Amino acid sequence: MEQSFHKEIVLRTNGLSKRFARRWAVKDLNLEVHRGDVFGFLGPNGAGKSTTIRMILTLLRPTAGSIEIFGKDLHQERGSVLSRVCGIVEKPDFYLYLSAYKNIEILGSMTRSIRRDEIMEALDAVGLKLRAFEKVKTFSHGMKQRLGIAQALLTEPELIILDEPTSGLDPQGMKEVRELIKKLSTEREMTIFLSSHLLSEVELVATRMAVINHGELMVQGDVSKLLEREATEYSIQASPLDAAVKLIGDLPWAKVVSTENGRIEVHVTPGHAPDLNRVLVTHAIDVSSFYPHRTLEDFFLRITEGTSEI
Amino acid sequence: MRLFWLEIYKTFSRWRTYIGFGFIALVVILTEVVMKLSAVEIVNRMMRSTQKDFLIFGNVLNGWFVTAFIMNTLHIHIPFLIALVAGDMVSGEATSGTVRFLLIRPPSRVKIIAAKYATTLFYTTGLVIFLGIVCILPGLALFGSGDLIMHHYGKFGIVFIPEAEIPIRMLLAFMAAIWSMMTVASIAFLLSTLVENSIGPIVGTMAVVIVFLVIGNFPFDFFGTLKPYLFTTYMVFWQRFLDNPIPWQEIAKSAAILGLHSLGLFFIAFGTYARKDIKS
Repeated sequence: MEQSFHKEIVLRTNGLSKRFARRWAVKDLNLEVHRGDVFGFLGPNGAGKSTTIRMILTLLRPTAGSIEIFGKDLHQERGSVLSRVCGIVEKPDFYLYLSAYKNIEILGSMTRSIRRDEIMEALDAVGLKLRAFEKVKTFSHGMKQRLGIAQALLTEPELIILDEPTSGLDPQGMKEVRELIKKLSTEREMTIFLSSHLLSEVELVATRMAVINHGELMVQGDVSKLLEREATEYSIQASPLDAAVKLIGDLPWAKVVSTENGRIEVHVTPGHAPDLNRVLVTHAIDVSSFYPHRTLEDFFLRITEGTSEI
Repeated sequence: MRLFWLEIYKTFSRWRTYIGFGFIALVVILTEVVMKLSAVEIVNRMMRSTQKDFLIFGNVLNGWFVTAFIMNTLHIHIPFLIALVAGDMVSGEATSGTVRFLLIRPPSRVKIIAAKYATTLFYTTGLVIFLGIVCILPGLALFGSGDLIMHHYGKFGIVFIPEAEIPIRMLLAFMAAIWSMMTVASIAFLLSTLVENSIGPIVGTMAVVIVFLVIGNFPFDFFGTLKPYLFTTYMVFWQRFLDNPIPWQEIAKSAAILGLHSLGLFFIAFGTYARKDIKS
């Protein structure tokens, strides 16, 4: 597994397990989330993602194992730890009979005293300032999701835990939430723990990730490194095409899979992708694009189907 | 304290909270108006059994009598109105999904559950005080004041309470009614911590109250032996403040039993909820 020793560990689970009746929903889970990470927590439905998040946010009691947040034991120092953490578990539900402003005020006030300008600022950050005093029952799902993020921002947490934050949103809403997550990570330097079964979403926003299946950790590490290690097929746009195909065909560690629409699909032995690019360029072939064909989705499916050795 | 006020704000921002107040205002004022319109008939009925033995002068059908009459009539209905809010206090957060926001905040479950219980008691107190105000003020305005003459609680005979004594006795009776209703509220609150919908605790509380009342009133020896163990036996101890003389020992015993019930129910609710896995 990938390890990053240079960054502070914000969240660590040690042998975390949860059993419901006879079924282990989560078993011996060891996660490490570093400061500044956008940590993607991936797994198919029923893999144990929500159960893990509920344990991290003290909604469920672990059957075994422990959780450390900011180096403190969560169950011994719950109050001080949770004052620096915020989260949304599953869909964001609010007091529908209250306004967005009042909802945020009530939830924020449970952590500390909240000023009016702080509430308006949080609502402004998610584009809900103009609807601050409207009742939440008039809000769409996307607006509630953004309101959930606003309440998370209000107390300036160091760690935000989001459970399927784009679930149920339209493409525009998904894009907005993704951009918001990136913004929180880069501009406010918040650590974000993000669970999802939408693999493309994690690929787009996460820096590190873990894959869980049947309650057990399958893999954990930097997204780019995990994908890079898995990449074996590349799509290349080169000119002249025929010369490129002939050249690749002569290489012992590369094989042309197909040529279509001016692109060459090439299977490359792991580790030889830079060599292939170099060979093409040194033989005066113009390479206008060269990218791995493997996506997180392929990777995820291989992991969860148990066909990959990590 | 902050949690308590947040709970108060949430509770009193919901229209459901005001159903009880609306119901009481409507029923009490309607009853008083009807009693005013049928005053002669009511007085004749009241006096029918006592006219042969007593010579009664003065304003018998006065505001105090009307208040005592309405309290006697409504003491079965008020628990339902209390359960309507108390039964929703914790389970309502699960139904709406807000529990997932609430319990991931720094305040412990101990504090949250204590704030919710305090709010439940606050509402219960408010509802009974409101009943008192709605009974007494329009009652006195419509029927005037006077001595209180009514049937003796649990015995054959009549009780006479001079006008000067009535306000303090009524105050004590309403305080006792609040104390009784707190036990009902505690049952609803406990049930509310056990389930994730509001209907269960409301129906459950009423079922407990009605079943206990029925058992307590069955004229069979077996049920008679159970009666001392049913909280409903002590629930109407407020009536004893309108007895002559006031049976202080009995009142203290009833208050202690109901108080222990409330405390016990709260601790069970607290113990259950503090360890409960939130799966909703």
